[in-house]
Amino acid sequence: MPWQSDNGGGPWGGGGQSPWGRGGGRQPPNIEELLRKGQDRIRQFIPGGGASTKGVVLIVLAIIAVWLATGFYTVNPREQGVELIFGRLFEVTGPGLKYNLPGPIGEVLTPQVEAINRVDVGYRGTADTGARGGVARDVPEESTILTGDQNIVDVDFQVQWKISDAVAFLFNIRDPEATVKRAAESAMREVVGQATFDDTVTVGRQQIEERTEELLQAILDSYGSGISIENVRLQKSDAPAEVIDAFNDVQRARQDKDRLQNEAQAYANSIVPEARGEAEQMIQQASAYRERLIKEADGEAQRFTLVYDAYLVAPEVTKRRMFLETLGQVFGSADKIIIDGPLGGGQGVVPYLALPEINKRSKEGSN
Amino acid sequence: MSRTKLAVLGIIVIFVGLTVAQTLYTVRETEQAIVLQFGKPIRVVKEPGLAYKLPFVQNVITYDDRILDLDPAEVQILLTDKKRINVDAYARYRIIDPLKFFQAARTEAVLRDRFGKIINSAIRQEIAKNSLGDLLSENRLSIMQAIQSKVSSEAPTFGIEITDVRIGRTDLPPDTSQAVYNRMRTEREREARELRAEGAEEAQKIRARADREQIVILAEAQRTSDILRGQGEGQRNRILGKAFSRDPEFFDFYKSLAEYEENLVDSNTTMVLTPDSDFFRYFGSATGSRE
Repeated sequence: MPWQSDNGGGPWGGGGQSPWGRGGGRQPPNIEELLRKGQDRIRQFIPGGGASTKGVVLIVLAIIAVWLATGFYTVNPREQGVELIFGRLFEVTGPGLKYNLPGPIGEVLTPQVEAINRVDVGYRGTADTGARGGVARDVPEESTILTGDQNIVDVDFQVQWKISDAVAFLFNIRDPEATVKRAAESAMREVVGQATFDDTVTVGRQQIEERTEELLQAILDSYGSGISIENVRLQKSDAPAEVIDAFNDVQRARQDKDRLQNEAQAYANSIVPEARGEAEQMIQQASAYRERLIKEADGEAQRFTLVYDAYLVAPEVTKRRMFLETLGQVFGSADKIIIDGPLGGGQGVVPYLALPEINKRSKEGSN
Repeated sequence: MSRTKLAVLGIIVIFVGLTVAQTLYTVRETEQAIVLQFGKPIRVVKEPGLAYKLPFVQNVITYDDRILDLDPAEVQILLTDKKRINVDAYARYRIIDPLKFFQAARTEAVLRDRFGKIINSAIRQEIAKNSLGDLLSENRLSIMQAIQSKVSSEAPTFGIEITDVRIGRTDLPPDTSQAVYNRMRTEREREARELRAEGAEEAQKIRARADREQIVILAEAQRTSDILRGQGEGQRNRILGKAFSRDPEFFDFYKSLAEYEENLVDSNTTMVLTPDSDFFRYFGSATGSRE
């Protein structure tokens, strides 16, 4: 360290706060201060004359020392340091405090090799995470793609990439971001152009992501770009706005179909059990009817049998008794008109039946 | 040290500095250079690093040594199936012969203009041989290869190498895409109608099956209950017949009395009788006989 041996606490007493001590890569020393102090020294030495040569040498050495000190730089953990000397690649360094010759001879580039970069195609997302949820604006000229069955699909996707080879990334391609985007667009179009519309919007989405990723990686490798594709993610894969209504209507129709079937099934589920219930009721009623008839007949038959058995003990008398008792009951409750002599005979009464009178009487009688 | 001495020293320092600056130059990792002497190219420098040249008589032009982009304007192409398509292709190239490049194009802007036209005409020629269907199939790859070989054959004249030619956007012009949209829409409308009709069909079938089942169940129940009723009535006839057939004459008498009792008692009947009925046998005579 030249300034320590030559300077030894000389004019740059403030040299203790060394330039790299501030950290954060190459920091230019406080040039104004240096110049001012240098001028002071020159003014001191020039009039003096004798000590002037020694003074000039000291100053020059000091300037060289400070200049050399500006060669310190730090590489952050997620970065790599690429050292160039006269524009030529010298060394690639890892994180930490490093040294390279200072400018204009040396130069250090510190690309972020761990960082994931995102490219949005078909839409412009919000600046942050870029994932779903942000306010995305569709870019139709990027997102409408012809499918293999000559339909048009609206595809938005995001490519995530990172630097896999810092040297190749820095020195092999110009404008890597634009290259990734252009290649991604081309790859997606090629893949979708070979898929059917239905696959693209439904079951084939993952396959499309995978194939695009593969193709895109192959394209970028062929450029020697030093870029590795982390993933390709379809954010949206839909029918274009012009026809989305018709597509939604298909979904609705599918639901209508289910609904109609369900309604019919509900109808079937209600009337069949009802019919079964009704059938059971009919059978039970018929069954009851049968039982009733049999029981009644049984009873009637037994009653008859009992009466008949009793009648057989004294047939004549019993028959007459039953006859008289029955008629007695019948007559007992009826209005009776008894006319002696042969009815309608020559000398008897004229059998005039005053029906209204009888009715009146019967009414009175019932009152 | 006199003032003159100091001035001379100063001039020498400035002159030396100027000469050094005129002699030394750097070629960066991303660059390549050609050295011109009085405007005439004499040397190519491809190695990055510090290099030197004659001061004042030679000067240096640097070109990019990376893969560069060339993005010609979109072209509209009439395909074999009479469909128009807008093709936006792009190329990636590298300057491999800076000398030739210097002679043929001199700057990237000139190259972009001149070579862009070559690319577009190659694209036009190759793509116009195909139909839209071909363009969207696996043929796309072979089309791109054909374009690339055509373009590559022109590349050496410009001192460049074509890394890749790719078809980017291939879009239909507005009127054609409108036709495509219309077709997509009608296809979906057809599908929707079909789905709804299928739904109605299924529903009708389910209802019809249910109706049939209902009718069959009820008919079956009707049959069963008729049989049951018949059984009941038959059994009744059998039981009564068996009982009554022991004495048909008494049955007549017994049944008649039962019917009289049931139908005539308490019914406000008015009866006109003659006393010579059997009931009145003793009405007029104690012996029970009449004259």
